[in-house]
Amino acid sequence: MVGYLARRILMAFVTIFVVVTISFYMVRLMPGNPMQFLEAQLEQQGGVSPDQIRQQVQAIYGVMPSGPLWQQYLTYVGNIFRGDFGNSMLNPGQSVTSIIASALPWTVILVGVSLIISFIIGLVVGTILAAYPESLFSRIMTGVVSFLSAVPNYLIAIILIYLLGDLHHVFPISGAYSNNTVPGFNFPFIGSVLYHALLPMAAYVIVSFGAWSLAMKGSVTTVLGADYVRAAEARGLGGRRVTQTYIGRNAMLPMVTNLAISVGYMFGGSVFIETYFAYPGLGYRLINSVNSRDYSLMMGCFILITISVVVSNFVVDLIYPVVDPRIVKPGARRTKITPKPEAALQTPEAMNA
Amino acid sequence: MEFLKDFWRILRADKTALVGGIVVLIYTLVAIFGHLFAHVSDLPAGGQAYLKPSGRHLLGTDFLGNDTLSELVIGTRPVMIVGVVSAVIVIFVGVVVGLFSGYVGGFVDGLIMRVTDIFLTIPGLPLIIVIASIIHTTNPFVLAIILSVTAWAGLARAVRAQALSLRTSDFIDAAKVQNLPIGNLIGKQLLPNVGPFVAINFLLAVTGAIYAQVGLFVLGVAPVSGTNWGIMINLAMNQGALYTSKSMLYLFAPMGAIVLLQVALVYFSRALDKLFNPRLRVQ
Repeated sequence: MVGYLARRILMAFVTIFVVVTISFYMVRLMPGNPMQFLEAQLEQQGGVSPDQIRQQVQAIYGVMPSGPLWQQYLTYVGNIFRGDFGNSMLNPGQSVTSIIASALPWTVILVGVSLIISFIIGLVVGTILAAYPESLFSRIMTGVVSFLSAVPNYLIAIILIYLLGDLHHVFPISGAYSNNTVPGFNFPFIGSVLYHALLPMAAYVIVSFGAWSLAMKGSVTTVLGADYVRAAEARGLGGRRVTQTYIGRNAMLPMVTNLAISVGYMFGGSVFIETYFAYPGLGYRLINSVNSRDYSLMMGCFILITISVVVSNFVVDLIYPVVDPRIVKPGARRTKITPKPEAALQTPEAMNA
Repeated sequence: MEFLKDFWRILRADKTALVGGIVVLIYTLVAIFGHLFAHVSDLPAGGQAYLKPSGRHLLGTDFLGNDTLSELVIGTRPVMIVGVVSAVIVIFVGVVVGLFSGYVGGFVDGLIMRVTDIFLTIPGLPLIIVIASIIHTTNPFVLAIILSVTAWAGLARAVRAQALSLRTSDFIDAAKVQNLPIGNLIGKQLLPNVGPFVAINFLLAVTGAIYAQVGLFVLGVAPVSGTNWGIMINLAMNQGALYTSKSMLYLFAPMGAIVLLQVALVYFSRALDKLFNPRLRVQ
C-alpha cells in the first residue's frame, strides 16, 4: 500500500513539474514569445527607462528577463511551488493567484457535480442496456446514446442557450449567481447558484452520460458471461445477490479507471461550457486571458487546471484499492483494461464533455 | 478481394454503418471537388444579407450576403484536411511508440509508459488552446500537429498492451528463431495484428481532431480567416445569431454539418470493428 501510494504521489509531482516546465518554455522561448512582446510594447510606448521596463516585466511574470536561463527557470519554478504566478497583465495590481482562487471553486462544483450525475445515470442506463437488450427502452436508448456521444459539447451548449436561455428566458445565461443575493450560506444565494449552474450542468450531463452508458454496457456484458457469475447462479444464489455482489462490483472496476481519465476531459470541456454560459470558472478565465493576451493569467489557469486534474486522478487512485483490493498486492498491477473495440469507440472523444 | 467482399457483406447487413460510410464518402468528395461548384467572397453583396431560404439560396444567406450552402461546401475542405492530417500524426506516433515500447519491454518500456501517462494526465484541450494562442498559426499542417499533441498517448498505451500479449505468441517466437531483423518483427509481424484496432482509432482520431479544431475556431483562439465551419459558427455568434432568428440557419447549418459528419464517422467505424473482429462477425 505504501509503495503504491508513493508511486502515485511521485507521478503526480512529476506531471505538475512537466507542465510548469512546458509553460516556462512557452512563455519565454518561443519565437515572438509573450515576454519579448511585452518588452517591445513597453519600449514603443516610450517614456520608460530600460530598468523600469525590466521591473514591470518582472512584476508580471515574476522573473527578471535578463540573467541566465537556468536562473530564470529556477526562479519561475520556485515561485509557482510557493503559489506565486505573478500579476495579471490586464487587471493591474491583482495577482494571478487571487483571480484563480476566486474562479476555481466554480469549476470544481460545476465539473464535480456534473461528473457524478452523469456517472450515476450512465451506470443505471448501461446496466439496463446490458441486462435487457431487447426491451423498447434499450432499443431507443441505444440510438439516443450513441448519437449524443458523437455530438461536440459546445454545440449542445449553444443549442441549450438558444432554446432555454434566449428564446424562452427560462434560465439565466451568464454568471454564477444573481447580483442581488449576498454570497454566503443563505437560502437565496444557494438557490441562485443552483439556478445559474443548472443549464451548464445540463449541457455536461447530456453530452457525457451517453459515453458512460455505453462503457457500462460493455463492462456488464463482459461480466455477464464470466464463469464466476454462472457458478454463482449454479450455486443457487439469489438474483439480487448475483446482480449486486458478482456482476455489479466487477463491472464497476473499469468504470472507476474511466472516471480518473474522464476527469481530465471534463476539465478540458469546461473551457467551452463556461465560456458560453459566461460561468466565471477557470475555463472562462482561460479563454478571456487568451483573447486579451494576458499570458501570465493564461499560464496560471492552465497550470491550475492541470493540478486539479492531477489531484482528482490521485483521489481516484486512493479510492481504487477500496473497490479492487487486488491491485495493492505485491506483484499485481493496476488493471489497465484494454478497451474492447465497442467500448473504446465512445470513450476518447465522447467523454470530452 | 475476399476482404472487400466481406466488407460489403457487413455494410449491407448493418444499415446504419452503410449510411455512415456513404455520408463520410460524400463529405470526402465535397472536400475534394466542392470548390469547383461553390464560390464565396469576402466582400459584402448589397441587399443580399440574411435572405430566407429559396431556390437560389437553399439555406439562405449570411450577414455578408454569401450563400450559406456555398460556405458549408467551401468550409468542408479545411476541416477535413486538418482532421485527417492530425489523425495520421496521432496514429503514426501512437502506433510507433506503443509497438516499440511493448516490444522492447523492461526499463525503456517503463520509462516510455511514464512519459505517456504524463501526456494522458495533462488535459489536452486547455494545452491545445494555450499552444494555439501563442503560435497563432493559419497553416493547416501546423494546426494539425498542435491538435495531436496529447491525443497519441491513449492509443500508444492500448497498442502497447496488445504488443505485450503478442510478444509471447508462437509466430513471434518462430520469427525470432529465424533471426529476422527487428524492423521485420515490428512491421511485418506485429503491425498486421494491431491493424484493425488502428483503423478504428484512425476514424475516432479524425472525430477528435475535428471536435478540437472546430472548437478552437468557435472560441476564436485560432485566427479567424478564410471559411470553415468553426469560423461560420464563430461569426454567427458574434453577429448575434443567438438573439435574432434571422441568422439562425447560418448558425445551425455548420453545426448540423459537424454533427452529421461526427455521427457518420462513429457509425462507420462500427462496420470496421465488425469486419476485423471475428467474434462480432459471426453474429
